[in-house]
Amino acid sequence: MASVPTQTLRRVAGRPVPPGLPVDRTGLVHRLFTRTGYLLAAFPLAVLSFSLLVAGLSAGISSLTALVGIPILAGTLLTGRGLATVQRSLAGRVAPDVAESALVASPTPATAGWRRFLVPFRSPQTWLDTLHGLVVFPVATFTFSVVVSWWAAALSGLLYPLWSWALPADNRGLAWVLGFRAPWQDTVTTMALGLVGAVTLVPVVAGLTRVQVGLARLLLANPVQLRRRVAALEASNRAVVDAEVDSLRRLERDLHDGPQQRLVRLQMDLGSARRRVTGDPETERLLAGALAQTKDALAELRALSRGIAPPVLTDRGLQAALGSLAARSTVPVDLSVDLRERRLPARTETALYFVVAEALTNVAKHSGATRCDVDVWDDATSVHAVVTDDGIGGAALAKGTGLAGLSDRLVGLDGVLDVTSPPGGPTQVAAALPVGPVAPVGPLGPVERAR
Amino acid sequence: MRVVLAEDSVLLREGLVRLLAEAGHQVVRAVGNGSDLVAAVDELRPDVAVVDVRMPPTFTDEGLRAVVEARRLVPGTAALVLSQYVEASYAADLLADGRGGVGYLLKDRVADLDALVDALDRVRAGGTVLDPEVVAALVARRQDAPTAALTPRERDVLGLMAEGRSNTAIARELVVSAGAVEKHVSSVFAKLGLAPSSDDSRRVLAVLTHLQHAT
Repeated sequence: MASVPTQTLRRVAGRPVPPGLPVDRTGLVHRLFTRTGYLLAAFPLAVLSFSLLVAGLSAGISSLTALVGIPILAGTLLTGRGLATVQRSLAGRVAPDVAESALVASPTPATAGWRRFLVPFRSPQTWLDTLHGLVVFPVATFTFSVVVSWWAAALSGLLYPLWSWALPADNRGLAWVLGFRAPWQDTVTTMALGLVGAVTLVPVVAGLTRVQVGLARLLLANPVQLRRRVAALEASNRAVVDAEVDSLRRLERDLHDGPQQRLVRLQMDLGSARRRVTGDPETERLLAGALAQTKDALAELRALSRGIAPPVLTDRGLQAALGSLAARSTVPVDLSVDLRERRLPARTETALYFVVAEALTNVAKHSGATRCDVDVWDDATSVHAVVTDDGIGGAALAKGTGLAGLSDRLVGLDGVLDVTSPPGGPTQVAAALPVGPVAPVGPLGPVERAR
Repeated sequence: MRVVLAEDSVLLREGLVRLLAEAGHQVVRAVGNGSDLVAAVDELRPDVAVVDVRMPPTFTDEGLRAVVEARRLVPGTAALVLSQYVEASYAADLLADGRGGVGYLLKDRVADLDALVDALDRVRAGGTVLDPEVVAALVARRQDAPTAALTPRERDVLGLMAEGRSNTAIARELVVSAGAVEKHVSSVFAKLGLAPSSDDSRRVLAVLTHLQHAT
């Protein structure tokens, strides 16, 4: 049984969100300045935010009994939300994932009249936004003071000789306190301090930024809503794929029960007609021709069905369908299927079937292989299908190829398609799809038929 | 012959009834689902049951399962299973009990009256009939040894054996003597490493199994 290293299976996935601060390739100094800028700008914003929100909240709470407090509080919450948006975009300069979380905007139903004022109260994220607007004040004050002092210490220390002439003659600095009386000792000490400050500036600024961004991420990054939205999107993805698979299966059934059946009957009748016609070679010839056409039409319909929604896959499941593919392959196929349940969800079976079908077509057409292995197995979390051949290699997931389309389909199902095909071979096409808890799923469609 | 017909499509049922009449057989009952078929076979004891694979309620393989059930209930029941598409796994299911008298054909095939008559006769006589399309797909792709070790003539014989033909029929088809056919058959069995079998039905099963599974 082939085993595929899991690292190679991750190439198609999107980039993961990094913990802490993102690794920025734009250089140490650039980062330092960006982060310092952020910390400096965050302070006035925090002051503004704190003042507005405290004023609004106290006004609102104190006038609650007069009911006018409700719209005041609602307005305060909305202010908090607006300020949080600014905070997110500001923090987004140093941590892009915080800014991205602002893109999650769930639609709010339209409400009329006085109920409009109650809408902000219902969203937990708005409360978190407002809380952030309050809590950020002490935090920003702290980080602001520290960053300003540290920069000042570093700069003034290192540049001491440039401005020390402006100090009064009887200035007593740190050096004096330490017992150094000579001016050069004073210079050296101060510059040493500046050096220490400069050297530690980068980690200190990074640490302060981490604290501030951490607060933003904690309160503003909207984790609950994000999770809900992701779950909803995943479900809708699956629903879309299910709908497509279902409609293709219905199409195949309609073909089978409609045109295909009529052609079979047509064939029977033409055959009977040909048997009744005697002594008229022209008519016999025409009927023979008509029969041949019907036969070909039926063969074409069968091939079409296999390309849309193979009946054996619908009726008998993945193993039987893969066996049929293997039987049809011009290159000998060694098929090994090891699944815990006979049936998987229709969308999973269909996706895996077409991956193997496409891979085998490529093997037959391009690879010049003499043999081919198809392995299908599942474990607790996913089902795998791997097609390996000993051909010349050079296959790729280039745009426009059948494999690229399949890769998109698999990604839509939260799966992965990987192609390893060095020139000279061998080639391996590996697909993996997630599976939920093991539950038997029957074929789609037939049971609901009204016929 | 007395025939019970199981086909849920009216269009095809009419066509088959007329064809069978043309062939000189009598359709004693026509049903539209699997359980009715089993009941009809039990009640009427026909010579052959002609059965469509896809029938209500699930439209997957009711016909197949009904045939297996009917043959269990009334041993010796001959059945010809028809389908608009043929797959080896269905053939394997049908042949599983090892007894003869069963056939699996594409519906296209029956428009050719001679083929229909031949299939019905063979099945009634206890033989086995497999559609050439199923067999061709299986034989063609096995290019690896030991199938590659067969001569073209032996490969023809292999294919005809897989279709369920008797030695006499093979001789007629390939226009050779019966003795030559026997020689080819033994050679094929020897090269494929199969135990020789005089029983045609078991022979089909053995060949089919061999063709389906890789070494």
